Amino acid sequence: MKLLVLRIAPLILAVGAPVSAQTAADYTNFIRQIQTPSGVQWDASVAATGAQLSQLGVDAAGSHFELWTVKTSPLTSYLLDTAYVGAYIPVASVTIHSEDPYGPIPRTRADRAFSAVIAVSGLLSGLTDPDSAKSVNLLRYVQSYGLGGTGVGIDRSQATLLSQASVTQNGTQTLSYALTSIPAGNRAKVSGEERFAVFSVAGYQAPVTQIASSYIQIWPVADGSLAGISQGQLIRFTLPQLTVTLNDLYPSSTTYVQAYQGDPQLGVVGKTLPGSVLVINDSIPQSRVLTLKDYDAVFDTEGRWTLELLTVTPFGTDRLAYVSFDIDRIIRVNTTLTTDE
Amino acid sequence: MTALAIKATRRGWFAWQLGALCAMPTVLSPAAPPVMQDAATHEQLAQQWRKAQPDDPMKALPAATGAVPAGQPGKDLLSQSDILCFGGMATLVPKRAILQLPKAMTGRTQFAAGSTLLGWAEFYARNRGWITTVEVSQLQAEGSVPLPEELTKRLLDQPNLVVATYLGGPISVLPIKRPSAAPTSQSESIKP
Repeated sequence: MKLLVLRIAPLILAVGAPVSAQTAADYTNFIRQIQTPSGVQWDASVAATGAQLSQLGVDAAGSHFELWTVKTSPLTSYLLDTAYVGAYIPVASVTIHSEDPYGPIPRTRADRAFSAVIAVSGLLSGLTDPDSAKSVNLLRYVQSYGLGGTGVGIDRSQATLLSQASVTQNGTQTLSYALTSIPAGNRAKVSGEERFAVFSVAGYQAPVTQIASSYIQIWPVADGSLAGISQGQLIRFTLPQLTVTLNDLYPSSTTYVQAYQGDPQLGVVGKTLPGSVLVINDSIPQSRVLTLKDYDAVFDTEGRWTLELLTVTPFGTDRLAYVSFDIDRIIRVNTTLTTDE
Repeated sequence: MTALAIKATRRGWFAWQLGALCAMPTVLSPAAPPVMQDAATHEQLAQQWRKAQPDDPMKALPAATGAVPAGQPGKDLLSQSDILCFGGMATLVPKRAILQLPKAMTGRTQFAAGSTLLGWAEFYARNRGWITTVEVSQLQAEGSVPLPEELTKRLLDQPNLVVATYLGGPISVLPIKRPSAAPTSQSESIKP
């Protein structure tokens, strides 16, 4: 039996990173130590950051350590990280990176890249060393949340094992993926998670055990529409009411409608329509419908104008929709002057 | 997706990948400079995804050895825990950590919406009036050694909710292990 130093600083710091509307008050962290093979669970109360010795000794067959965070509304638990410590078991860690710095759960969008860093140490190669100390298995799982799903309450035992490999050497491996492989009929609307897990190889007194795992959430690409003005419409008087429909806005995004003179052109910075700015700072995608009216002041000259619906995310600015139309408010009076003798 | 768009996307990806490799593993990869583009469509992504499939980096690793689990264990902290909730505060303790639950306190094991979730130490410090803890050993927790009979009797008369703890932290106490059935003794005459 041995003691383990719990180094929780990086994990808890990730939980508490103030990058979204979720404050420390929204999430509460728990570390559970689970003894193998008895299954006894111990709540290792911890400070928000720091390192401490595990007061409950690690049994010969090992102990699991699980870092959970729990949200109270709705009451939901998220497994952030796991670690397994045993006498004959190598040590591993899985860290997933994306372009979105959000924590506690790594996340990205269906059209963006991500990578998983797998670090393994403690592997042995001696002839007399047990098999469980010579290699570990790396498994990649995918699981869809379904159309419009958020992952709350999903049964993770239903995840699909996508690929598996063996790691036989100590060191760090970076696995880079251009896109997610979560199955979906519409690849722009993928919603789900990818998990990378390191499992031990069965050995003396040690069954196949998950040593480390981490997952990333994948959210769909947003879409939207502008209704109320049709392409090429000629507007002579007040601008009509505009209905902006927004679907699957990224959890960290700012969306707005802008107007500029001329035909549609990517990259043009225009004037923002009043009342159109929508800031989302959440943990799941959002959908909204906005109604805009009395925005004539933006259009101060006659001619061709373009309205664009834009969303700004950690990945850049995406144009969701656009429409061009003509404004002609000048009243031309044609008269004829004639004389009559 | 046009050839130009694919090229631009891939160039952006390679640039990101390079930046990511330089930054890993200590910091998250910074987002690419904001570039305005039309939102990606299914057709574009399906094509990009098909092209990326042969590049699965796990294919470069040796095949897995031994038995591998087909699915992830269905894990959820809430299903592995009991809730204690009172006065707008709540906490989680491992299942089987509650040794005694008086009928009058059954309602305090349900989460009340709007309650603030606290760690055990903080919750217990504020609710000592109705919670009593009993320190158990590791052997008692795993069911190898029974709790003292005197303690078990005392728990029955306890008006407070009783939580088993190990060095102050709530711990599950498993049922006493029944000794495995002794192998049937067979006398067998050995013939020379």
